[in-house]
Amino acid sequence: MHTYTDNPRFPAGSPTTSSPPLGLGLVETSSGPFDILTHYTTTLDSDPDLTMPIAAIESLVALLSSTSTTASTIAEFLSIIETGISVLKSSVPNAISLSAGCDLFLRYIVRSLEDPRDFDACRAHLLQHGKLFVDRAKSSRWAIAQYGAELIRDGSTVLLHSHSRVVTALLSFAAERNIRFRCIVLETAPSLSGLITARILRSKSIPVSVIPDNAVGYVMAKCDMVLVGAEGVVENGGIINAMGTYTIAVQAKANKKPFYVLAESHKFVRLFPLNQFELPVQPQYQNLLDFTTEERNANDQVGKEGEVGCVEGTDGKTGGKKVAMGGRGKGSAPLVDFTRPEYITALISESGVMTPSAVSEELIKIYS
Amino acid sequence: MGPKSTAPPGLTSFLNILNKNENKHDTNAYIELFISLLSRRQIRNSRSVAIATAELLLRVISVYKWQDLNQLIAHIKEVGNRLMAAQPREMAVGNIVRRVLGLIREEYEGDSKAGNISVYSDSGLDSITGRKRGESTSVLFSNLQPVLDGGEAGLLKPQVTRTTFAHQGGQFTSMFSLLSHPGSPEQNGTSTPPPTSHSSVPPTPTQSITTTATTITTEKSPPGPPGPTRDMKPGIIEGLQEILDELLTVDDQIASYSLDHIHSNEIILTHGSSLTVQKFLLKAASKRTFTVIVAEGFPNDHEATHARVMGFDPTNPIDDDDILDEVPQEQFQKTLAQAGISVILIPDAAVYAIMSRVNKVILGTHAVLANGGLLAVAGARTIAKAARDHSTPVVVVSGVYKLSPMYPYDWEALVEIGDPGKVVSWEALGEIGEGVGEKVVSVLNPIFDYVPAELVDLYVTNLGGHAPSFLYRVVGDHYRHEDINLGV
Repeated sequence: MHTYTDNPRFPAGSPTTSSPPLGLGLVETSSGPFDILTHYTTTLDSDPDLTMPIAAIESLVALLSSTSTTASTIAEFLSIIETGISVLKSSVPNAISLSAGCDLFLRYIVRSLEDPRDFDACRAHLLQHGKLFVDRAKSSRWAIAQYGAELIRDGSTVLLHSHSRVVTALLSFAAERNIRFRCIVLETAPSLSGLITARILRSKSIPVSVIPDNAVGYVMAKCDMVLVGAEGVVENGGIINAMGTYTIAVQAKANKKPFYVLAESHKFVRLFPLNQFELPVQPQYQNLLDFTTEERNANDQVGKEGEVGCVEGTDGKTGGKKVAMGGRGKGSAPLVDFTRPEYITALISESGVMTPSAVSEELIKIYS
Repeated sequence: MGPKSTAPPGLTSFLNILNKNENKHDTNAYIELFISLLSRRQIRNSRSVAIATAELLLRVISVYKWQDLNQLIAHIKEVGNRLMAAQPREMAVGNIVRRVLGLIREEYEGDSKAGNISVYSDSGLDSITGRKRGESTSVLFSNLQPVLDGGEAGLLKPQVTRTTFAHQGGQFTSMFSLLSHPGSPEQNGTSTPPPTSHSSVPPTPTQSITTTATTITTEKSPPGPPGPTRDMKPGIIEGLQEILDELLTVDDQIASYSLDHIHSNEIILTHGSSLTVQKFLLKAASKRTFTVIVAEGFPNDHEATHARVMGFDPTNPIDDDDILDEVPQEQFQKTLAQAGISVILIPDAAVYAIMSRVNKVILGTHAVLANGGLLAVAGARTIAKAARDHSTPVVVVSGVYKLSPMYPYDWEALVEIGDPGKVVSWEALGEIGEGVGEKVVSVLNPIFDYVPAELVDLYVTNLGGHAPSFLYRVVGDHYRHEDINLGV
């Protein structure tokens, strides 16, 4: 029987205690400890449009700038970054999306340093342009919206799940172009993040119907397509996204509805999960299978905290303000599942519409 | 409109006019002529359109004078957009325009190669194939790629071609473009990807090309202000000639793979009058004996199909065979039966009934789309679906020039509705119309079918065999990312 603790990524024992000796979120640098986790969470909180990979890159740049005078050798430079990355990865509940940004950043630096003469230039470039990366990431969302808006036709009905910034950006863009369409939004229990989507879309005068998650099979025949975002896009073109995405994808396939994924290419991540239980999610946050013969206490009632106000900002990025999953998980990491590529009609990234099989090539280009 | 010629309006007359070369500096007249031919469907059939487009662009480029890359590209884009607007469903126009744009960019970048690509691409390979694309590469690599795609052979190709095309930007960089340097090309020696990558990043969209172009002039070219113009034109024209050569030889290249796919005593089902399919079958017939079942393709294609199968006089106006002039006559006047194939002609309605006996379906196509779907003569989807029902493999033969980088967001819009008179005679239609006040029957004649990627097992192009899911790679090899959206 496969259990979470079998997962080699997370050896038994709480990761929070096994990670850095300094304490959660701190990286020791020669100019004193730098709290990269705090920087990361404040960065995320300060800008609701920011995604986890970008906040991670931003935090790593900040880490570098705090040590700018001291890292004089490439080895030291890299080791600071690597420490920062491992601290970040181990201290958030769900590091899938974050690690995509971290790995991309590290890879970029390694590539840039192939010629050691560029060391100073590379460091200067990174320090100067931290803000630029953030802007570019945001603009790639805009580019996806433009590519993807073609998908939305007059009179169509779109099924949505959870809350994804890029999906709402795309739909807002389509609405601004006076395309008339309707949305069915799954409420996405237990976090109820679907309600955020509904509220945003309604504020753009898009007719929205919110339905419970278990009605997805019932309504599938009434929709023309499914649009979802992704926490991470893995090597085989599958996606890791909010729990329930897989169910929807299977339903869409059964009803022969197109299933589109919108994801910036910085969310492409070097993972190759073969089943649902191989995702790099820290076990204590997603331990759904908890067999017991005892009655559950009231605290276990799923979705109890499900008001819009309380799920705001608990997008899994902060490590949690609210307990969303009753007694089953600690913290509010949104639950995630894995959707295999054969269920995905196409992925839309800022470089255009691609088939799932094209993802591995994008990754090979960077990491080979 | 340009000068009139004696041939009926079509590809032949258009090429005659181009070749006469009267008022050759007035390319606008040629463009207008082509637009009118396109919009009246006097040039149809993707190869004719592709040839006409390439010939026209050849004339346009050869008389056009430009100062820098942007100007030339803007001009070609402008011409291309006019042509595409004339007949939006004719994908071949856009394909050729994009390839020419890619050719131009490559020609410019080839000049600035100096430090830019050394890190990312294998310079040895690059020098072999660097200047030639499309056909020349295909010849080179097709040898490496045996029968079926998808196995190791399929994997081999992208790796090899990737080094060839790596420096073209846009491809290499989409993920790194997030982190790359904002402006200065002098920095990009090794630390940042090629500057064209910026085009995927909206905030700094224009500087990339301009700065590259200017640094080329300052770095490389000797005195004389508009440095590149002088050097580039012969290279671009040479590349265009290669595209034209490819268009003329593409069917033979595809046919050269036929022995890999057609085996003795097989029963092959095909559809319509595609010349590509005809040549493919004839080539196989030179070594093997097999049976071909031909679905006639009523109502748009059946006359041509009958002619192909039974060897009627091909001078009657079947579909568009202007191409007759270009291709050695005897080879395709030979009918399948004359080549020793047993041929069975069936009506389209009998496809399902006969499918259980068929070993393989071979389809021609009008256009292939980046997601692996295709547009073909109406009836193709029925056949593909029937084949799927019987788990019969479906092989699509298509030149790479038919492969469009467009994604079929709305495939219903791609299907052209043709002449209803072919379904019901105009006389009968007239009678229908007379019943005023009564319910009138509408007659629809869609010309194409959209066949989704999942119904196709294999594409055979002039580059070899590809799985439908692999076509994105072929698209990446032939079109530049920045040219895919021509409209903007």
